Amino acid sequence: MTNGGLWPQVERLLASVERPARYIDREWNAVHQPGADYRAALVYPDTYEIGQANQAIAILYATLNGLPAVVAERAYLPWLDMSTAMRDAGVPLFSLESCTALSEFDLIGITVPYELTYSNILEVLDLAGLPIRASERTEAHPLVIGGGPSAFNPEPFAPFFDAVLVGEGEEAVADIVAAHRAAKQSGLDRAATLMALSAVPGVYVPALYRPEYDADGAFIGVSAVPGAPDVVTKRVLADLDAHRPPTAPIVPFMDVVHDRFGVEVLRGCTRGCRFCQAGMVYRPVRERSADPIVRDVLAGLACTGYDEVSLTSLSTTDHSQLEEVLRRLQRRLEGTGVSVSLPSLRVDAFGVEMARLVSAGGKKSGLTLAPEAGTQRMRDVINKNVTEEDLLGSVQRAFEAGWRRVKLYFMIGLPTETDDDVRGIGELVGRVFRVAREATPPAQRGGLRVAVSVSTFVPKAQTPFQWDAQLPLEEVRRRQSVLRESMPRKGVELHWHDSDVSFLEGVMARGGREVADVIEAAWRDGATFDAWTERFNPSRWAAAFEACGIEPASIANRERTPAEPLPWDHISAGVSKRYLLRERERALTGELTPDCSFESCAGCDVCQDLGVDIVLGGVARG
Amino acid sequence: MAEGEFRLRVRYGKVGRLRWLSHLEIVHALERIIRRAGLPYALTRGFSPHMKVAFGPALPVGTAGENEYLDVWLTRYTGVEDALGVLAACAPADLAPNLARFVGEKEPSLTAAITIARYEVAIEGKESSTENVRTALESVVSAGTFEVEHKGKHKVFDLARSLPEEARVRDREDGSVVDVTVRMGSQGSLRPELLVVRALETASVDATVLHTTRTDTLIETPEGVWVRPV
Repeated sequence: MTNGGLWPQVERLLASVERPARYIDREWNAVHQPGADYRAALVYPDTYEIGQANQAIAILYATLNGLPAVVAERAYLPWLDMSTAMRDAGVPLFSLESCTALSEFDLIGITVPYELTYSNILEVLDLAGLPIRASERTEAHPLVIGGGPSAFNPEPFAPFFDAVLVGEGEEAVADIVAAHRAAKQSGLDRAATLMALSAVPGVYVPALYRPEYDADGAFIGVSAVPGAPDVVTKRVLADLDAHRPPTAPIVPFMDVVHDRFGVEVLRGCTRGCRFCQAGMVYRPVRERSADPIVRDVLAGLACTGYDEVSLTSLSTTDHSQLEEVLRRLQRRLEGTGVSVSLPSLRVDAFGVEMARLVSAGGKKSGLTLAPEAGTQRMRDVINKNVTEEDLLGSVQRAFEAGWRRVKLYFMIGLPTETDDDVRGIGELVGRVFRVAREATPPAQRGGLRVAVSVSTFVPKAQTPFQWDAQLPLEEVRRRQSVLRESMPRKGVELHWHDSDVSFLEGVMARGGREVADVIEAAWRDGATFDAWTERFNPSRWAAAFEACGIEPASIANRERTPAEPLPWDHISAGVSKRYLLRERERALTGELTPDCSFESCAGCDVCQDLGVDIVLGGVARG
Repeated sequence: MAEGEFRLRVRYGKVGRLRWLSHLEIVHALERIIRRAGLPYALTRGFSPHMKVAFGPALPVGTAGENEYLDVWLTRYTGVEDALGVLAACAPADLAPNLARFVGEKEPSLTAAITIARYEVAIEGKESSTENVRTALESVVSAGTFEVEHKGKHKVFDLARSLPEEARVRDREDGSVVDVTVRMGSQGSLRPELLVVRALETASVDATVLHTTRTDTLIETPEGVWVRPV
């Protein structure tokens, strides 16, 4: 490998592309280890500014670089101007740190964050000069391993990966590297190496599993070859405090999303919202204790120079010691201009009190609350344990305390939804606006804003709603018009999630391995960066489905029976199907299930099956 | 300067790969370096308090700078060498502060004071000999004015005023270097590489600009003497 790698060739391209800072490396805390003998490239399949903040990559980067003789470097998908310039100049996709072609690494780890990044994975592989299908790779190619939130239904992208890690990576990534190094030392060929990897808990090797169909072409299940586990169960850490998260993360030069220091304060969420995949697959709740959180915040700020720290998790205001953590941080950060942010707030008095605590003396950023549905009936169906009184009380207190903006998240198209539920969203927003207005001094009422963001419900694998039909496009559009008519205009900013995007998300979320052909066809036709509004082209995807002979509505808009085999049945998040079915029954009768972190066990079977326990304030409940 | 505040003027370079950063990215990076250094920086008073810091004239993306400046206000007196030491230790090598001194509050801001900049424009290509480049440059400069279109705006530079010194061409490995001194003004300043590119194009010389470096930013005193801000 030449010193400085491809940099001289890369630099020649920079004058003609947007935002060269995406490609230059040299950020504070980036790790350079030219001498390592095992090299991993960690890839986020979107642009630098989207991927840089990804905490999973930050954790794996720190973990791998801490292993003896191992180096991890980063790569992102170049924007179109750069990838075109690279192809024209014959420059392959390269890592930032040593500017080495990705094809020269031992392992390429690609995080799969979201359905609309699937086409980008193919672009990453192709730009790196690798065959896009694992079956076409040879001994000369690196191992390509996926992971991340989408791994809980890996089938649509399974053929593109040699292996997929299901679940948490802190411990698994070291096991994977160890297995790969051992295989290399024993001189195993690629097939034997993959078989060895399949023995690592949590590692799914798609080539060892075959989808099967009956005589009519109906899917009847996935079968494993002898020697591979029938079911791949997710990896999970029993104790987050045992794994110190990175406190020297890379500090980007360019403006990126979430441009702040993030400290994960808890993992998992057991509130049990029935639509929420993250709430199901990241169980159980494991809180870190207050001391290490405060220590890591201060250490991280000191060595990054950020002026903002975010306490991250699925539901930060659920942390049992949050108030103590915030009070201690407030004392330590006073006079520094450094602010603390909470990504999402509970719709109750506690959430607003915490918002007040983090904004004391500083500016009041927006307040974001997620009631999700407009009527109590609908909120009971989804097990969103909040009432209208909670929401209105919070809004009142927030506006009395000086907030002038609130953002509300809602969904339409949830199971059992009627037009009354849809109109209920508009009516609820009207009441929120009136409460906010009354809590605001008359002179300031002109600046009052209620932002309403409405997405279309997409049923996800591994949730109680995984059997349900997604609303057909025409019906989504009709309900959007019902909602628009019921929504007050004055002082309300209404934003929609594009219904065509939701439809494709729905197909990807629950599709089987046959969808991989569609992804490849769409990518060959030019699909990349589908998550970017200006790049998403629904007719390109429609053409790809047609070319592959796949009816996307039969995946997204069809209700499944509980007996029907599902394409992800061989992937287990630890939550039992029995529990998911029971929750689905309770949804239909509007019966609530309490949060098992604070009340009785809801019987999801995660703790028993995975041998872990709920950890509150750093202490396992036992 | 509010009571108890000390205005520290710092010189730094924007070199190597970091030449590809934009001015805004440089501003954010330097603020983060100051916070990492743990300097007792002052905050602005206002709706959204932030670090009290001011920068010299912006550099374009892709242009390096060897002697760039910022002012940062401190709430406590800190020894210049100590401050410089921690700043340099907390900066990437290609953006490292390398000189500092305290300046009086009455001194004008860096953007108002700095009106002279020296540049090196490196040229490569088959016909990039000093002879060719010198001839090409002379014909453009002798026209007396220089017109550019930038972001839809038409600008005319009076070269007698914009170029207070004659541009010089010298040899480098595989090409040549043009030394250009530019006077900066409120109506914008001449970008030296545009002048060189135009000269090469007009004279049909097969050579291109490799990179541009601002080697100095200078203050012109009332007596007409050029001095460095630190």
